[in-house]
Amino acid sequence: MARYVYGVWDGVAFDRRRGEGSGTVPALSGLDEIAPGSATKAFISDRGFLVLDESLCLVEAFAQYLTQAASESCGRCSPCRVGTQRLRDLLRAVSAGMAGPGALEEVRTLAWQVTQTSLCGMGQNCARALHAALTHFTGEFAAMTPAQAVFQHSFTYTTAPCIEACPSKIDVPRYIDGVKSGKFDFALGVVLDKYSMAATCGRVCVRFCEDACRRNAAEGAVGIRMLKRYAADQALLHGRLNLTPSAEKLAKRVAVVGAGPAGITCAYKLLLGGIAVDVFDAQQSAGGMASIGIPSYRLPKDVVKAESEDLIRQLGGQFHYGKVLGRDFSVDDLLAHGYDAVFLGYGASRGSQLGIRNEELLPEGYLSGVDFLLKVHKQVEHSEPFPLQGEVVVVGGGNVAMDCVRSARRMGATTVHLVYRRTVADMPAERDEVHAAEQEGVVFHCLTNPSELVIEDDRLVGVKLVQMRQTEKDAKGRRNVEPIPDSETYLPCDWLIAAIGQVVDDSVLSLEEGIELDRWNCIKVDPDTLQTSRRGVFAGGDCVLGPLTLVNALDHGERAAASIRAWLLDGAVRVSPERRMQNFLARNKLLANECLEPPPLKKPPARVPELPPDERIRSFAEVDGTIAKDVAYEEASRCLRCYRLYSVVTEKPLQHRAAAKSTTATTTIAG
Amino acid sequence: MYATINGRDYEFQANETILEVARRQGIHIPTLCELNDIDHAPGTCRVCLVEVLRPGQAAPEYLTACDTPMGEGWSVQTRTRIVQEMRQLQMEMIMADHHQDCSTCPRNGNCELLPVANSVGLKQIRFRYTEGWKDLQPDTGTQPIVYDRSRCIRCQRCVAVCRNVQGIDALEMNGWGPTAGVRLKGGNVDISPCVTCGQCVMVCPTGALAERDQTQDVLDYLGDPEIVTVFQMAPAIRVGFGEEFGLPAGTNVEGQIIAALRSIGADVILDTNFGADVVIMEEGTELLGKLAEKQRPVFTSCCPAWINFAEKHYPAVLPLLSSTRSPQAVVGKIAKTYLAEKRGFDPEKMRVISIMPCTAKKEEAARPALRHNGYSDVDVVLTMREFARLLRREGIDLKNMEPSSYDDPLMSEYSGAGAIFGTTGGVMEAAVRTMYYVLNGRELEHIEVTQLRGFDNVRSATVDLGREYGEIRVAMCHGLKGTRRLVEAVLAGKANFDFIEIMACPGGCVDGGGTLRSKKAYIPHAMRRRETIFNIDRKAKVRQSHNNKQVQKLYADFLGAPHSEKAHHLLHTHYEPRPCGVDADIRAEWDELRGQDGKVT
Repeated sequence: MARYVYGVWDGVAFDRRRGEGSGTVPALSGLDEIAPGSATKAFISDRGFLVLDESLCLVEAFAQYLTQAASESCGRCSPCRVGTQRLRDLLRAVSAGMAGPGALEEVRTLAWQVTQTSLCGMGQNCARALHAALTHFTGEFAAMTPAQAVFQHSFTYTTAPCIEACPSKIDVPRYIDGVKSGKFDFALGVVLDKYSMAATCGRVCVRFCEDACRRNAAEGAVGIRMLKRYAADQALLHGRLNLTPSAEKLAKRVAVVGAGPAGITCAYKLLLGGIAVDVFDAQQSAGGMASIGIPSYRLPKDVVKAESEDLIRQLGGQFHYGKVLGRDFSVDDLLAHGYDAVFLGYGASRGSQLGIRNEELLPEGYLSGVDFLLKVHKQVEHSEPFPLQGEVVVVGGGNVAMDCVRSARRMGATTVHLVYRRTVADMPAERDEVHAAEQEGVVFHCLTNPSELVIEDDRLVGVKLVQMRQTEKDAKGRRNVEPIPDSETYLPCDWLIAAIGQVVDDSVLSLEEGIELDRWNCIKVDPDTLQTSRRGVFAGGDCVLGPLTLVNALDHGERAAASIRAWLLDGAVRVSPERRMQNFLARNKLLANECLEPPPLKKPPARVPELPPDERIRSFAEVDGTIAKDVAYEEASRCLRCYRLYSVVTEKPLQHRAAAKSTTATTTIAG
Repeated sequence: MYATINGRDYEFQANETILEVARRQGIHIPTLCELNDIDHAPGTCRVCLVEVLRPGQAAPEYLTACDTPMGEGWSVQTRTRIVQEMRQLQMEMIMADHHQDCSTCPRNGNCELLPVANSVGLKQIRFRYTEGWKDLQPDTGTQPIVYDRSRCIRCQRCVAVCRNVQGIDALEMNGWGPTAGVRLKGGNVDISPCVTCGQCVMVCPTGALAERDQTQDVLDYLGDPEIVTVFQMAPAIRVGFGEEFGLPAGTNVEGQIIAALRSIGADVILDTNFGADVVIMEEGTELLGKLAEKQRPVFTSCCPAWINFAEKHYPAVLPLLSSTRSPQAVVGKIAKTYLAEKRGFDPEKMRVISIMPCTAKKEEAARPALRHNGYSDVDVVLTMREFARLLRREGIDLKNMEPSSYDDPLMSEYSGAGAIFGTTGGVMEAAVRTMYYVLNGRELEHIEVTQLRGFDNVRSATVDLGREYGEIRVAMCHGLKGTRRLVEAVLAGKANFDFIEIMACPGGCVDGGGTLRSKKAYIPHAMRRRETIFNIDRKAKVRQSHNNKQVQKLYADFLGAPHSEKAHHLLHTHYEPRPCGVDADIRAEWDELRGQDGKVT
């Protein structure tokens, strides 16, 4: 662990040189790992600053920090727009030894004013550490010496709780700024900078960002997802999206296996960077689980198509449909055919089994959740008949189970039963989904578990169920369950759909491919670079993570593309300082559990317009609508822009890829 | 719930801001960006600081009163030494990147910024930041409204009035940091939804938004002995101009304006009200014809921002618009034909100068359909603000002018009907008076058609025209938000009207985008100006357009009859769809996102 010399954290000062306040030193782990191979001299954040090297020029560190703040200020409110510039200039003057008398007092006053009176998090957070430093360590604010100048480089990373909560690290306040400002295409541009599936994500994302939103402490999270959808729909639904192929063309070809969210995102980012891409998929259309697994009442197929197949083709990508890895071709084949790198994003598409009696007989009427949704997809999209009727039982409590019950309602089932071994509150599915299923008339059987399929003439006729009861809490605080002896009942049914999860298909990769798998058949990768154990082969999405979320797959696709690009151009992959900083912030939970005091003016959260339940179950028409423009403006105005800057001062400048929201600053001393 | 302000207890409701509570008690807190009349508190100026001690807290906090909800048991101080110094520092920062070149500002000494600086006791400006605007090039375009970022304080009132009051949403916040400001969506007026109504100018607290100043053009014409200057003033001018010279709001200064124009050397002084009477003759006849053919509804066409709105946003409604020119364009055309002929002027040497309460009239005057042989029927349009500037440049103080009257025998008389064009419902009422007479051969008994005179943004009424027409259904709308609703209802077949009057500006022309600006208020004089307009009608010798002797003479000597071929040729026009909007250029958005120095990887 790094050894701190002096600093202020959460308002409490310590100075180990004098043995003062050393008990209050925060236990942050991994600070050194942000800049491997380069000594970390200081860390500055909204909560305080920590100096690790006594020889640091503190005023220069803050000058660089405030330089970044001034360049990030959105310019709406005056203390942040002007105050940060003034602070930057005063600190630079002090650092250069050219400040007049009273400069430091002016810095202190301004730092306090900017902190107290700025409109959003950027201004409120960017001068707090500076004010603390000037309050407790005025003596350290001396001009930089030539010796210090050589070894003092800042890397500053700007983020917010919603950004760090998002696997894709998308700049949420920035695209909300776009909506707020009336620049919907700019908002969309912020999203499209990360991944193409903006309208898709704007419809079905699980919204880690909204869970992290500081407005939760007031009247509820900002409707981040609905704003993303709003911006995307403005361009997509009106045919206004104009994205030309990259002018830059590199003589490199990449094979992407799997046209799901991870593969599409990887292909999209590679194509934008001028790298040719061929996409292989077992299905006849792109989108993967976003298309097959998510029913069109939640995510219309044309939205997925526009943001995957159409856009990839527009950018010059090629699709090879009906091609199954492990059956039609191998990774060896791809590399032998001249692809310079391979991305594996084939997903986790095999339904998990219930492990109950007679399941192995695979009777007619028994399906896994994903197989059921595929049949629904083929009927809705390609009119392949799927005569679902009678009593339908779905087992599970996740989002796939909800997709199954709600689809079954629409397919014409007489009654749809949901069987789940725990309680409604324990269901991992999103609350909105559970609520919608209830509204649509699904019959819930909680604390119930199937024990046996009942079969007549090779056809399912019913299921035996046992009642469950709750026992002690597990590590996550969820109560375990156990069967109640002699509680078995019989439920006659025509269909039983096991929607308790998916696993990776173990027939896809053979041992000879030389790609290491874990015991669940998931591909082992470096979590930062997404490199597999085989050179030139990268992987991401559900085939790495197991069945997870759309936005996790989007993130993997984007990061894999960056790694592939680096691999193709430089022959090596690297972990960006941004990524290292993100890992550090997550490990130390630096953006968690924040309070919101005093509370902001209450603005009721917007609601997404939706079809009434009785209308919904008659078709696969989209349930949620796009919000109106005035609602979008109101909702965007609820964003508090909880930005803050994290800076490490290092001996050598950090390598980083060109990114929007971080810079390294290097200053040479005047004269 | 209770809190104290400056030591006294006050009751408040949950989610009320500190500013709302203080204002109710008459306690002063300086504000700058906020505009209560349009419910706008963006919290960008951060001047309205107060000191707050919350229960259980050891130290006070300094919070903005406009966007902080008052809390139970809070103790608020509005005038401690610290809070006053903080407001001063806030104002110092606002001034630091403001242009501060007051002498060249269109608001010259009349902005909201200087009084607030005064109000917070600003004593020093120790630093300046001009990077955000020092390299800006002067705006040399032709659109009637100009924006100068160097004078913008990012209050976003213009954005709010355009979005929320007018429902046009033509403005976006653009740029970051020192270059933050506003601009038309898409960057120019043609592709933006802007209809040039000028409400943005009316709420701007500084000189950042202003009309394109054409005062110098008029001075040049006045100084050219070859040129015959022909002035016309709109119905709304006389009731909204006195304030500029210290007269009470709503004072009728028609006589003083005539005297002032004569004093600066105007050759001919006409009244747009005369043109309004002619419009009634044409539009009324057109409407009766359409009613007979069951072509309904007919929309009025005198408001140029409404025409822009229809052309840009609802081209499907264009066939329903009256083809009659606006009163301004009627006066311009008749001046350069009839007046030129009768008084022996060379039309090529005539310059028609309109004084209008409107920014969109500048654009109207430049419309190709209102030009002939390379000449515009109206050469220059001055807003009331430019007109005030013109008089000041000529050293005229309006309130010291001896009222005078018109001397042109051909185009200056007007009826009460022409006069009420300046207020919402006025066009409708004027038309009803004449249509009733045309159909029944006698005057309407109750000449003030009170059912047309409400002030709601969208109103409807029925009027009995007699004869075979019987009751007709009419609607009147002022403000474009309501207009949008009404037009959509008409296009959806859900509105049952014969005649619809639209005025784009809330309040009608008396509160148009070219009227005098108010401070910290939105259309505060609407009712007084309207009342004066109605009084002009009441005192008029004739109150119906068809009884205007000069109008009768115009038709007898020149046009023949309303809707004659000549009248149709000279006094009617047509409209073209002008779709706005552009594709989303994502690469351009990425350039902005990266500050144009990075590459997509």
